[in-house]
Formats: sequence, C-alpha cells, structure tokens
Amino acid sequence: MTRTFTAGLAAAVLLLSGTAFADDMVYAGFPVTVKGYDGKKTTSVSYTGQIARHALHDSLKKLAGSGNGAENAELKARMTAYFEGKDEGRAILAPTTKGEFVIAQTAVDEISKGKNLAGKTFKAAVAGMPNGMTGAELVSLWIDKASMASKGFDAENGYDYPQLISKFIMGAVFYNQAVDGYLDEYLGPDKKPNDKPYKKGAAYTGKEHAWDEAFGYFGTPAHTMMLKPKDVYNIAKRRDEGFAAADRNKDGMVDLKTEMAFGPAYYAAGFDASVYDKGNSTSYLHTITKAFLDGRKLLAAANGEKLSDAQRAELKGHAAVIADNWEKVLAEAVFKYAGSVYKDMVKLKTIVEANGDPAKQFRKYVKHWGELKGFALALQSGKNNLGETATRLNRLMGIGPVLLDGNQVGDIDTKGNYLQSEATDWGEYMLHMAKIQKLLIDRFGVKARNNDVTGEMEALSATLGDKASAEND
Amino acid sequence: MEALLVDFLERLADQFLNPQKRVFVGYLASALVLALAVQMLVGGTALLGSLARLFSRKIWWSRSARADYRIAVLNQAVMMGVVPRLVSKLAVATLLFEAMHIWFDGRPLLWPDAPGWAVAALFTLVLFLLDDGTKYLLHRWLHSWPLLWCFHKVHHTAETLSPFTVYRTHPVEGVLFALRSIFVQASALAAFFFFLGDRVELVTVYGANAILFAFNAAGSNLRHSHVRISYGRILERVLISPAQHQIHHSDDPRHHNRNFGTVLALWDWLGGSLCLAERGQRIRFGGPATTGPAHSLKTIYLEPFRDACSLLAGLLRLRPATVLRRPSSLRKRRDAQDAAGFPVGTE
Repeated sequence: MTRTFTAGLAAAVLLLSGTAFADDMVYAGFPVTVKGYDGKKTTSVSYTGQIARHALHDSLKKLAGSGNGAENAELKARMTAYFEGKDEGRAILAPTTKGEFVIAQTAVDEISKGKNLAGKTFKAAVAGMPNGMTGAELVSLWIDKASMASKGFDAENGYDYPQLISKFIMGAVFYNQAVDGYLDEYLGPDKKPNDKPYKKGAAYTGKEHAWDEAFGYFGTPAHTMMLKPKDVYNIAKRRDEGFAAADRNKDGMVDLKTEMAFGPAYYAAGFDASVYDKGNSTSYLHTITKAFLDGRKLLAAANGEKLSDAQRAELKGHAAVIADNWEKVLAEAVFKYAGSVYKDMVKLKTIVEANGDPAKQFRKYVKHWGELKGFALALQSGKNNLGETATRLNRLMGIGPVLLDGNQVGDIDTKGNYLQSEATDWGEYMLHMAKIQKLLIDRFGVKARNNDVTGEMEALSATLGDKASAEND
Repeated sequence: MEALLVDFLERLADQFLNPQKRVFVGYLASALVLALAVQMLVGGTALLGSLARLFSRKIWWSRSARADYRIAVLNQAVMMGVVPRLVSKLAVATLLFEAMHIWFDGRPLLWPDAPGWAVAALFTLVLFLLDDGTKYLLHRWLHSWPLLWCFHKVHHTAETLSPFTVYRTHPVEGVLFALRSIFVQASALAAFFFFLGDRVELVTVYGANAILFAFNAAGSNLRHSHVRISYGRILERVLISPAQHQIHHSDDPRHHNRNFGTVLALWDWLGGSLCLAERGQRIRFGGPATTGPAHSLKTIYLEPFRDACSLLAGLLRLRPATVLRRPSSLRKRRDAQDAAGFPVGTE
C-alpha cells in the first residue's frame, strides 16, 4: 500500500513538473502585472492584431492570384479592402480549413477588428524599385497590375504579383514593424514604459504589449519550443500530419491566434528543416522563439515595475538575437530563390536550344524571380541600412527578370507603365544570381544555402584532397 | 605556437593515415607484400633473407635516405606556410565556371540522361588523365629547362631509393607541382560541373581517387626502391613499372631523360622518352654533380638557388645560349647517350 502510494505520488509530481516544464516553453499565460488593473483578463499576452494582419496578407496573396487577365475593378477593390481597408465582414480567404486541418476562424473579425496592412507598411522609399515609391505605394501598384493579370502572372513583363506582394509584405510589414519598431524604439526608457498600461484600461504594460506585438508578427505557434521545425513547416502547409502538432489544446481545431504558423516562421522553420542534422544546420526558428520567450519572461518578472537600465539592456540583447536571425532568414530566402532562378535559366536555355516549348518553365522562372525580388526588398526593410549590399543586390537582379526575347523591364513611368529595354545577356544574368549568393554569404553568413549554385562544386573540390606536401615522381 | 606544432604533427601523421597520400600505411604494406613475393617467388630468396634485403640498413639508413627523412619533415613545415598562400583550386574553378557562362551565354547542360555512375566514372577518368598527363609534362620540363633542373636535380641526387624519396624535393618544385595540381583540378571541376551539373562526383576508394588508389595499392612505392619489378614489354608501353622509374633515376647517361611518367607510360611513348626495362638491368642511382656534399641540407636547399642565380646572371649578360641550353651535365649525358646509339622509345 505504502509502495503504491509512493509510486502514485512520484507519478503525480512527474506529471505536474512536466506540465510546468511544458508551460515554461509556451508563449502564453503570462500574468497581468499592470498595477491597479481591475478588468477581467487573466493574462497579459495579446497579439491578435498581428495575427489578423497575417490572415489579411495570406488572403491578399490568394486574391492576387485570382485574376482572369482582363481589367477587373471588383477584384482590385477586394484586394484593396484587404490591404488598406479596415471594414468589418472580411472573410479569411487563406489560411482556410484543408482536409483534416480544421481552422477555427473563418472571418478576420473573429481574430481582431479594424486592422489593415497599408498603415503598417514600410514608410520610406523602396530603393530597389523606380520612382521612389513607398512600401504601400509599391503594393498598390502591384495590386493594380495583379487585378488585370491572369492568375497573377504577367508573361509579357515577367512578373508574378502574388509572390511579389506576399514576399515584400513579409518584410515591409511583419519584419519592419517588429525589428524597426517594437524591438527597437519601443525598447527605449520612455516609450511605452513597463509601469503603465499600454493604453488606458489595458491588461498589459507598454513594454509587454510591444514585445507581444513583435512576437505576433513573427507568426509562430505559441508552443513552438515544443515542436520541431518540420512540425511548424507542416502546420504552415496545413498538412494532415501538421494538425496534431498545431492543435495543442486538443479541441479539434487550429486556433489561428495561438496555434498557427505564418510566413516568417514558416520560412525560418523551412530552412532549419532543410538542413536538419547536417553540418550546416541552422536553428533560426527556435533561436528567435526562445529569445522572444526569454524576453517575455523578463517582462513578467518585472511585475509591472519600470524596467531598470540593466533589464532593458538584457531585453535589447534578446531583441538583437531576434533581429539578427530574422534578417538571416530573409537573406536565406533571397539566396534560395537566386538559386532557383539560376536553375530555371539552365533549364530554359536547354529547352529553347532543343526547340521545345518553354512556357511551363518560364512560368516557374517568373514565379521564382518574384519570390527573389520580393524577399530582396523585404530584406532591405529592416532597421539596418544595408548600404552597398543593397545597391549591389538591386543592380544584380534589376527590376525585372531577363525575358526570353532578350529584353527586360528597366523602368516604370509615372503612370505605372513598364518600360522594357535590351537586357543583360542571359549568361551574365545567370552569373548575377551566383554573385547574389556570394554576396549573401559574405554579408550575412547564410548557412542553410538552399539551391546553392556552386555549393556542389565546393563539396566536390573538397573530395579531391590538398597539396600541402611537396612530393615528387 | 602549440597549435602550430599540433597542426604540423597532424599533417605529418596524415601522410601515413590518409589514403590520398603516397606513403599511406596501407600502400606501404601492399608494397612490402609485393616486394616479398617477388623476392621469394621470382628471386628464390627465403623470407628472412628477403626481409633482410628489403630492410637493409645500407638503404634505409644511408646518408641519402637520412637526407630524405630530414627533407620530408622540413618540407612539411615549409609547405604548411606556402600552400595556404597559393591561389585555391576552388577560387580558380569558380573563376573558370563564371567565365564559361559568358563564353557560352548561359549553361548548356550536356548528356542529361546519363546515369550518375557514368558521369562519375568519366570525371574520375578525365581527372586522372589530366593529372597524370600534366605531371609528365611538368616533369619533362623540370629536366629540359635548365632553370627548373637546378631545383629538380635535388631529387636525382638520391643514391639509395626508399618510398620516402618521393619527398626528396626542393620546395620550389613542390610549389610548381602544387600549382599544377590546382590548375588541373580547377579546370576539370569547372568544366565538368558547368556541363554536367551536380551529378559530377569522384569515384573514390577510402576517400582517394579510385584509379590512384589502384595504382598505389599495386605497389607504387616500389618505384622508389631497390626492388626491380618489370611489367613486360607490352604493358610497359602503357604503365610505368617500378623498374622503369628506377631507370629514370639511373646515373647511366643512356637512361637520362627517360620515363617521366607517373602512372602511364603512354605519355613517354607518345613523347619519345620511353625506355623499357631491360632483363638483368643493373642500375646505380644518383649522379647529378653538386658543389657541396650531395646530402647536406645546405646543398639541397640553397645550391639550387645559387645555380639558378648563375643562370639568370648569364641571361642578364645576354648570353641566352648558356641559359637556354640544357645544363652541361645533362648535355654531356645526352651526347653520350646519342653516341651510345640509344634511340628514344626503344628498350
């Protein structure tokens, strides 16, 4: 009897400590620390506005790929509603339930009301595009073009608008808002202090909410630290095998607010999963999430008091880890798609020289180029001025891909019309892709290096041995 | 400093432990087995007698051999400092790979349906042929260009041969061979990777090029030994036998400037420098005249520079004839060789 009781007690302790351990790894449940708070909230964690913007972004991308190739004012208006509007009644067009992957929310308002993307888009001029457009102006131009394109594809100029819009917003909204705002100026001593509520009556302090908002923009499940990168990847893909990993509370549905993975986290997880267990393995997803979690624990421990300089310094340390790794994820994405574009160009040349039909491959080329350009612009929308790196990056890829007829969009007039001119030679443009990859290795130290153009040659070179000894025959 | 020493010792050990290296213990063992088999089965010598001959102190602890050991260790240190400062093969390969995009305005992938093993086999074979062919060419130049001979003669002052004579090399020659290797490997890498993509790989055995592994496992170390093994008149036109390389080291003027090849004798055959092994050939190794003691490190490392300076001084005094002609010792040998009626490419 005594033995049974002891075993039962041990099991209970283990279970309890296990639960405590699990909770310790989840970005949720941090208590309300605002002094004098008299509301009903039991936790200070809140980032629904950011999740609503992820849903707006995913939906906008879906709409951008739905045109029929003719002018379509209605489609343009719908896209604009998801980008600029704040009206109620917008359905979540993506992500939606897919097979066994059941999603709890179907309307943006169920997550958060009155949110848009345009108001949070990169405010400065976008250096990698003509005419000094701001981030929002550039997206608006692309929305206009997408509304007239067939499934978002502009074969004449070589643009894939859903990809351009989506990848750019991942930087110009999510990355920019997080690293250039909430994880930067909001960490100053006087901006949104920790001894006051974020706004009157709020259940969270200024610093707590700023931190939460940055976490929300990263778009990862609250329990990411309990998951493998591959799980998070599968969740973002809405795969059946991702459902069990996502549905932490086992209510049979994935709650977009806390259990879903969106763009930035999806890419971090994707790169980590691609090199998992390899010599060049990365851990962007867990490094970023852990830094968010550690920062949030620090804020909870501050218990609603003003942060000391030492506490803010520690918080800034976590913020720097997040910003640095997030920037690397974007650099990895540019690297990956520069490699994709290069590979597409190899295939296209082979098809053209064999007098084959290049249409299908050209479509892939344009898609990958859109992802490349979108991510390259996203990379430049952080708090760091990339200076010469940005200039080289923009010059190497241009503002449009080299087309099969030897032309390339070289400018956009004030009315938004594309102006084509003679392009860089095909072979030289391929080389530009290799140079972009080299630039990213040198500047950002990217490690995952998906689609490395010369990586295989480097590996092969290593197998040939060295000549570090003087021998004779 | 401690890290440097550890690195140095690791690199020395690597010579014995890495199958990419000539004196890898496995290759030494296979050479020993082969040498014993020849001594016992062909020469009719008993095991102990064979071992005694193979490991004769007169060979392994001669002044010449002791110089080989010292040079091997010293050169390791020198090359540790020099090789990292040479251009890397990957840098050259990348440069060529990039240039090819311009030359071909794109990258036409060839042989798209080829099975992986065929691409790997082709790459391994071509790399081997390029490597062996350029070794032949450089080796020939080392003998025929007076300035290069100043440095290469160090190798030919060896009077006893052991597997470690492979390291009896002046560092200048070591650098030339390293550069040759870099440019050959880089060219093959760039060309194959450009045209055949990431299907290219090297066929290896224990990490070494499979063809070179076979060559080394088949007793390559016996080329620098006193064990005479001939492959016969037909095969020796294709593959260099240990006996043929021993001819290359002969002090007999008839044998000078013969058998420059490393693995293949084909190059010598095509280049008119082939000499087949002779039945009952007796060879004395060494020969090149040196001013100082042939096996002193001072002579080995410094005399080549002095000789080279003399040659260059001659050039500056506008006496090209002196410089461009082969060294007098070699010239005399060739004259004697011609007088002896020893036509190129015959036995």
